[in-house]
Amino acid sequence: MTIRIAAVLLLFAALAAAPAFVPPFEVRVLSLFCFWGALSLAWSILGGFAGYWSFGHTVFIGVGAFVPGLIVARLLDGGGAELMPLMVLAGGLVSAAFAAVIAWPLLRLRGIYFAIAMLGVAQVTGELSAAIEWIGGGIGLSLPDAAPAALAPEAFYHYVFVGLLALTVGVAAWVRGARFGQGLLAIREDEDTARMLAVPTEGYKIAALVLSAFLTGLLGATYGFSLGYITTDSVFRTDFSLNMIVHALLGGIGTVAGPLLGAAVMVVLTQVVLGEMLNLHLFATGALVVAMVLLAPQGLLGLWRRRARRGADGRPRP
Amino acid sequence: MSAPPVLEVRGLTKRFRGLVALDGVDFAVPEGAICGLIGPNGAGKSTLFNLVTGFLPPSEGEIRFRGAPVTGWSPQQAGRSGIARAFQIARPFPGLTVRQNVRIGALFGRSGPRDVEGATDSALALLGIEDLADRPAEGLTVGHLRRLEVARALAARPLLLLADEPCAGLNPAETDAMIAALRRIRDGGVTIWLVEHDMRAVMGVCDRILVIAAGRAIAEGTPGEVAADPAVIAAYLGAAEESRGA
Repeated sequence: MTIRIAAVLLLFAALAAAPAFVPPFEVRVLSLFCFWGALSLAWSILGGFAGYWSFGHTVFIGVGAFVPGLIVARLLDGGGAELMPLMVLAGGLVSAAFAAVIAWPLLRLRGIYFAIAMLGVAQVTGELSAAIEWIGGGIGLSLPDAAPAALAPEAFYHYVFVGLLALTVGVAAWVRGARFGQGLLAIREDEDTARMLAVPTEGYKIAALVLSAFLTGLLGATYGFSLGYITTDSVFRTDFSLNMIVHALLGGIGTVAGPLLGAAVMVVLTQVVLGEMLNLHLFATGALVVAMVLLAPQGLLGLWRRRARRGADGRPRP
Repeated sequence: MSAPPVLEVRGLTKRFRGLVALDGVDFAVPEGAICGLIGPNGAGKSTLFNLVTGFLPPSEGEIRFRGAPVTGWSPQQAGRSGIARAFQIARPFPGLTVRQNVRIGALFGRSGPRDVEGATDSALALLGIEDLADRPAEGLTVGHLRRLEVARALAARPLLLLADEPCAGLNPAETDAMIAALRRIRDGGVTIWLVEHDMRAVMGVCDRILVIAAGRAIAEGTPGEVAADPAVIAAYLGAAEESRGA
């Protein structure tokens, strides 16, 4: 256990020190790892622990990003860079509130039906953000550069993403060890039995979705600031939703380390190995997913642990 | 005599559209007893347990737990109040180890998350599966699955354990071990109500037995009284022989 904590601290120390030692391109790759690792882990709180696979988690990135976008455009006349931390927090909170509203009808659905319903929610919300003039997702919204003068923007956003990854790892590790997390595992394994064992299944599912949406919203808001300009198409992206699932699946679903491992592998693969071959990279991603599902349904962690527990991967049950 | 029964049902009725699954059943489970519930397949035994544990709302009738009316409560309320259930078809959490399974029972049980490890250890020991604690639940033998099912229910420190055919699929030696475990559980202060097809098991261990057939209570009493009841012999014992292979 102490070795594990030491390894995590070492990882974060290395990530935080990176801008001082490595060239900008590598810093960018590490930032992307933090972003995707945190997103996949946030997705896993619901998808990996409770077994409720969301196919539309990009909705929380989109809501998270549009909240600061709208605050800046409609309330602050395009300024307010120094208020970025508060606006990111607002992005997380509005995402969480949005999740709480959709949780009640959606979490009555199980398995693949929930997955599809989330896909629909993301699609509809994205369309609305583009169609409603006041939101302005079709034309887009500008966000001010929030990096302090002393720091290059890449380095600044790198630090923010490292911090958000640390927060997400902390939250996920706490959930995994807590009674709450054990209840989520019970729900994933057999929801009816969980009810009988007095697990407060409805409350726990809502809490998992809201917590997941809060973290995803923080990441989405920060991502919006790092882009500087957001449109519906840049933040409500189906491939974002899919990436979160793929990373978790690749690394090992239901664990804390798995989604991080999956994100690391995919970011290195897409940015470094295949960065020069843009046409090939979607093809390679798809092929890798198929290979993983066939050869290592427990993900890389499961392969490594060699403790094959067949069928225990939290697959959605129809 | 003054203490109310742990569980009492009065006039309990359940209709599914046109079908009457349970028709005005009365029964009381006294504290500290091991009671039996028997009847041919389809008699309504599982429906009765589903009503008591809140999985289904009754159409009519009343359920009292320790003297208080609890009709229409939820499975979670039943679990928190002290009713645990071991399913007929063992339903362990397949991806978790034996210990993790039992620990979840303890975490959400009647006394809440207090002394979770102690409750887990004693439940594992009482069912004699402490050696399997770190094995995944998936791939256990039927005998071990049944014991895990009962251990997980027991870890919740229930006041009443509803055991749905805990001996189904067990060989004679395993059945004897299960019966001995149920006696130890009762001696530890847990009242038990069990559904069982194995007549030897039911007759040997139960203090009182309720016999139902086609949704109606047809007899009630000590094992001796029930076994001698002509209605029971007609309705149940013949049918039980036919269904034994099922």
